[in-house]
Amino acid sequence: MSAAPTLYVDRDTFVHRLDPRAKLAMVLALFVAAYMFEHPLAVATPLAVALGVLALTGGLRKLGRIKVVITALFLAGFLVWPAYAPARGPVVVSTPVFDLTEYELLFALGRSERIVAFIVSGFAFITTTSNEEIVSGLRGLGVPYAFCFALGTALRLFPTFLGATGTVKQAQEARGLDLSAGGPLQRMRNYIPLLIPVLMTAVRNVNSQSMALEARGFDTDRERTFYDRRTFRAADWGVTALAVGVVVGVIGLWWLGVGQL
Amino acid sequence: MTESAETGGVAARLRDVLFSYDRDADLDDEGSDDSVDPDSRGGAVLRGVDLDVPAGEVVVVMGASGGGKSTLLRTLNALIPGFLNGAFDGDVEVLGRDATATKTSDLAEQVGTVMQDYEAQLFGTSVEAEVAFGPENLAVPPEEIGPRIDRALSQAGLGDLDRRREPAGLSGGQKQRLVFASVLAMRPELLVLDEPTSDLDPLGARNVVEIVRSLADASDGPETIVLVTHEIEEALLADSAVLLKDGRVFRQGPTESVFTDVAALRESRVELPPVVDAFDRLGWDREQLPVTVAEAADRVEQSDLTWEPPEPTAPAPAGSGGDPGEVRFAVEGARYSYDTDRGPVTAVDGVDLEIRAGEVVAIVGHNGSGKTTLAKQLNGLFDPDDGRVSWRGRDVREYDAGEIGREVGFVFQNPDHQIFEDTVRDEVAFGPKNFGIEGEELDARVADAIETVDLGSLADADPFALSKGQRQRVALASILATRPSAIVFDEPTTGLDAEQQVAFMDLVARLNREEGLTVVMVTHDMGSVARYAPRTVVMADGRKVADRSTRELFADPEALDRWQLDAPQPVALSNELAARAGREDALPALTVEEVVAGLGGEPAADDPVRGGVNR
Repeated sequence: MSAAPTLYVDRDTFVHRLDPRAKLAMVLALFVAAYMFEHPLAVATPLAVALGVLALTGGLRKLGRIKVVITALFLAGFLVWPAYAPARGPVVVSTPVFDLTEYELLFALGRSERIVAFIVSGFAFITTTSNEEIVSGLRGLGVPYAFCFALGTALRLFPTFLGATGTVKQAQEARGLDLSAGGPLQRMRNYIPLLIPVLMTAVRNVNSQSMALEARGFDTDRERTFYDRRTFRAADWGVTALAVGVVVGVIGLWWLGVGQL
Repeated sequence: MTESAETGGVAARLRDVLFSYDRDADLDDEGSDDSVDPDSRGGAVLRGVDLDVPAGEVVVVMGASGGGKSTLLRTLNALIPGFLNGAFDGDVEVLGRDATATKTSDLAEQVGTVMQDYEAQLFGTSVEAEVAFGPENLAVPPEEIGPRIDRALSQAGLGDLDRRREPAGLSGGQKQRLVFASVLAMRPELLVLDEPTSDLDPLGARNVVEIVRSLADASDGPETIVLVTHEIEEALLADSAVLLKDGRVFRQGPTESVFTDVAALRESRVELPPVVDAFDRLGWDREQLPVTVAEAADRVEQSDLTWEPPEPTAPAPAGSGGDPGEVRFAVEGARYSYDTDRGPVTAVDGVDLEIRAGEVVAIVGHNGSGKTTLAKQLNGLFDPDDGRVSWRGRDVREYDAGEIGREVGFVFQNPDHQIFEDTVRDEVAFGPKNFGIEGEELDARVADAIETVDLGSLADADPFALSKGQRQRVALASILATRPSAIVFDEPTTGLDAEQQVAFMDLVARLNREEGLTVVMVTHDMGSVARYAPRTVVMADGRKVADRSTRELFADPEALDRWQLDAPQPVALSNELAARAGREDALPALTVEEVVAGLGGEPAADDPVRGGVNR
């Protein structure tokens, strides 16, 4: 037995019920806000909104799956960005090797937060939008169906491969594999017994899926219909209007210098 | 079902069909050498198939693993030659269309396909979206799709299922039924089923069999069904049967006629229906052989045969040669939960269990009953949230991975989840090397393990090029080379044909008898349980609901029904005979040999297992 392995969280919330295009508009607005603001407190606003959506829709638990990636990106950004910022303002950290100014600190924090805000906003969209909705939403925006379907399938396969990796890891550990043994080079080699079976499983899986797709009449060259055609309802228009308002507001604040360093 | 007028009563017609998965194969060379084991033979898989599939019938195709059954089905839905690369020759006409010149996606309007791996056939994130996917691909108007979804879910026995549910959260049986519904919503005239129950537990398999049975009787179902299966109970649903051997049709005819043709079944390496085998061994003429349990019980009543049930002291047929020794595994109040989106789900809920040295114990139960989770606690792959699991009196959490891995081997269901080396020899050496074995001792252990699983001639072969049965033996050898004193098997016979299953389980039983190996096997295969495991543990909803001798368990049909476990034919027949004789307290026979002995026959002089593939 295992937990349902997809990233989508099957709930019936207000956000889940929104048209994917309305959700995309809001995600885009959060992206714009995170991109236009520089000060970490200002960038924290779209990040907080995305985290709030995840909390309300049950997606926070799923976020745990990528916490390592998020933390690594945040730390890497925080370490790298000071090198690209002008050394203005008072020094807050002084070492024999380098000095860190307040501006550099805030700049690095803001930029690193921005990356996290992008990821969390996108994650909120994926956890509240099923594959079909992503496909139909993108298609509603004029994206070719073949591309939409490929994206939806990739999203579906990702957790499947995660599950296969877990099983392969158990099988090799039962035969004494110790992933943490040896120096850095040996540790990389230790992953070969995981990578090859996972890769082979992936190839077999993709092959079986391709045959199953063909047998179900899937053909990107042929016209198809869509059963679950959504209508853009009042709530969707409202959220879209809100997203437009956020974008206009953020640009206005940027014009006024609010949220900038 | 009705006959198809447009094709003159033939749904599909194959003429001189040859196919090799090797694109460069020279099909002209495929001719006369039938002596090679099809399981290990390279070259063409189909070697001149001539076949008419009668319209309006359920047709079952059987044969040995590697004999071309699935490949044959792929010609019916045009995956061959259009989609799969390979060398092809011959004519295939399906529902009046030239399938060799038709795309699979075009033929999907008429030919529906259900494959073994249900996970690979689900694309949607809701039940409704999944069923709608096929009709959408066929450009069915949206207003027509709703009624099709209703009907298809009803036909697949999922009418009450919440349509918003995510397929990933369904049981294996429900997933496969959802695949059926998704295909039926496309309203196919020909339904092609490739081992649809192989990955299912007994309840899931039974439900799928019910669907096939009801489709065969329905007026609005597919007109013709072609089914590939290893399961004899499923095969008996068919109107006619086709036996494949060496890539050709070896025998075709009405089901009853084919399944009483013992010589043809043996020659094509197909499992004999156990009651056919039993009455054949009793010397009955072919015309009188029964096929079903009810027929067999009637024959006994109408003849001068009498049923003598096994004595309570009767030994288990295989496995556990000696008396159990000291306690090896001790599970005390073990609990284990998984984290899910909807909170923790308890998989093992307060299980107590003792397994002694030299025992063979089966753990059975439905998908989700907790049996695999329990098994993974035995060697520390999962630590219990609560309670204790010990090996030789010491908590498994106190062993490091190397220590417990040397003592307790774990053979996973799918050998492909572990194989990664270039040769069988290197693959088998992986475990012992990790445990610090090297030099001559390593070489000796590896050679010994490879010989034990009878792969000596393939020691330098690429394991990825071997058959599933051979890869399963490589996985076992890789564990044997670590010289464990216990092995836990998770579904050891899944995906193997009848003969491979018998060969593999005979090997395990021999290791138990001769080496004193303690064996724990998690399985759905009740035939193997009956033959090889003297003791059975039944799990349900994470709890241990029964732990008794296998013979006693099978003597209790009510309990089997309660836990929805299927009794194999020898058990069902002996229980039926006992019931008709008013001896409900009698113990059942577990194997064909015991049925024969109970009816006054002599056990076969040759190897009872391999003489005819049977359990």
